[in-house]
Amino acid sequence: MRIVLDDVCIAREDWNLSAGGIFTEGTHLISGDIGSGKTTLALLLAGLLQPSSGTVEREKIADRMISFQFPEYHVTGSTLREECASWGIDPAATLKGVNLTGKEDLSPLRLSRGELKRLHLACVLAKHYDLLILDEPFSSLDCREKDRICNELSCRTRGITIIFTHEQMQFPRVDFIWEITGGSLRCRGRLPDALPTWEHAPGVVKKLIRRGKIPANLTQKDLMEAACRT
Amino acid sequence: MISIRDLRCGLLDIRSLDIGPGITSIIGPNGSGKTTLLRLLAGITLPESGEILVDDRPPREVETGWVNEFPDRNILFDTVSDEVASPLRFRRIPCSETSRRVTSHLEFMRLVHLSTRPIRDLSGGEKILVALAAATIHRPSLLVLDECDSHLDEIRAQETDRLLSGTGARYIIRCTQQMESAAHGDHLIYLEQGRVIHAGSPQDVFRSLAVTAFYPLAWRCGV
Repeated sequence: MRIVLDDVCIAREDWNLSAGGIFTEGTHLISGDIGSGKTTLALLLAGLLQPSSGTVEREKIADRMISFQFPEYHVTGSTLREECASWGIDPAATLKGVNLTGKEDLSPLRLSRGELKRLHLACVLAKHYDLLILDEPFSSLDCREKDRICNELSCRTRGITIIFTHEQMQFPRVDFIWEITGGSLRCRGRLPDALPTWEHAPGVVKKLIRRGKIPANLTQKDLMEAACRT
Repeated sequence: MISIRDLRCGLLDIRSLDIGPGITSIIGPNGSGKTTLLRLLAGITLPESGEILVDDRPPREVETGWVNEFPDRNILFDTVSDEVASPLRFRRIPCSETSRRVTSHLEFMRLVHLSTRPIRDLSGGEKILVALAAATIHRPSLLVLDECDSHLDEIRAQETDRLLSGTGARYIIRCTQQMESAAHGDHLIYLEQGRVIHAGSPQDVFRSLAVTAFYPLAWRCGV
């Protein structure tokens, strides 16, 4: 199971993004500046956008899912109950799991953004997909929810998970680091070797590296372990 | 001073809270009432009971800038320059002055490169930056921001904090889920289930949250 990007280019009037590389099974973290093309790349990987040139091959991927940055783009039900049902999952169990019991008949668009994101991610993560693409999955979530989602993602042992994020504090266990710089997607490699060359590394990670304390991975436990290392 | 007395609105229940000038961050779990409090402070929602006064005036009599947590809900016009100009046009500022101020403000906010771009083509982070520019161009004394930083990378969020401090707003009140960012404000309020559980300096409030997930990771790691 893998995605192969061969000399891909996406070009617009005064902007372009080039990308090459292979996404194998595991969790890939992709970072980049605002407007660098993260969401565009997510759409491309999901098959919702065709490249201007080059090819995208998805090998042995039976099913795929993309979670958009804005959870409101996914809403199709007029109530939370209908929204869960539209994903083919049990509303009662799902809403209980995200602490929204009692709001079954409320419109999803009446939820706070954090609550809507929580609901949306519960719907997305209720099933397994060979390819799971998450565009800013942690935005709007409170620290406890980020922690819970990170743990859930860390437990995904099969398939390809690709996470696009600006998050600086809470991460799941990650296998590969990628970043978009200078209009190109670059693979920094496997963790922890990738960390010293990761330009968009969170401030905490950069400070730990400067002190010679390279964390084994990016979970809070890994960062704390590195910080406490003597 | 912003004073809140006997405030009730939906889940929100605040008996007494004073907020001084400067940057105030509001944190708390999802659904704790952060956005409701911000909407009340901005005068978008009226309280069911109780009172909010901003320097002795109700919020609706105060020049206020507001940025919604849903980036698309901030946008009214098709292009960046029209969107940023809109608060001045609504105030019937002459066209020549509007044009001059838009140019100057886009430079100040470092958004000149986006000025002719259709807003529908912008990324989520870029939409938020445009909304921030529109919210500050009329030099509000109160700036209310609902989780804007969740769409920004670390460097742009820090740069935006510096720029917003230079807009002249006496009060900047924002909710955030980035605890490192909250740690750098002047005041911090922690809400839970509609009530103010902790309020004070970031050091004091985070000291009370030391064993929770809300404690800044950088502090925990000692870096």
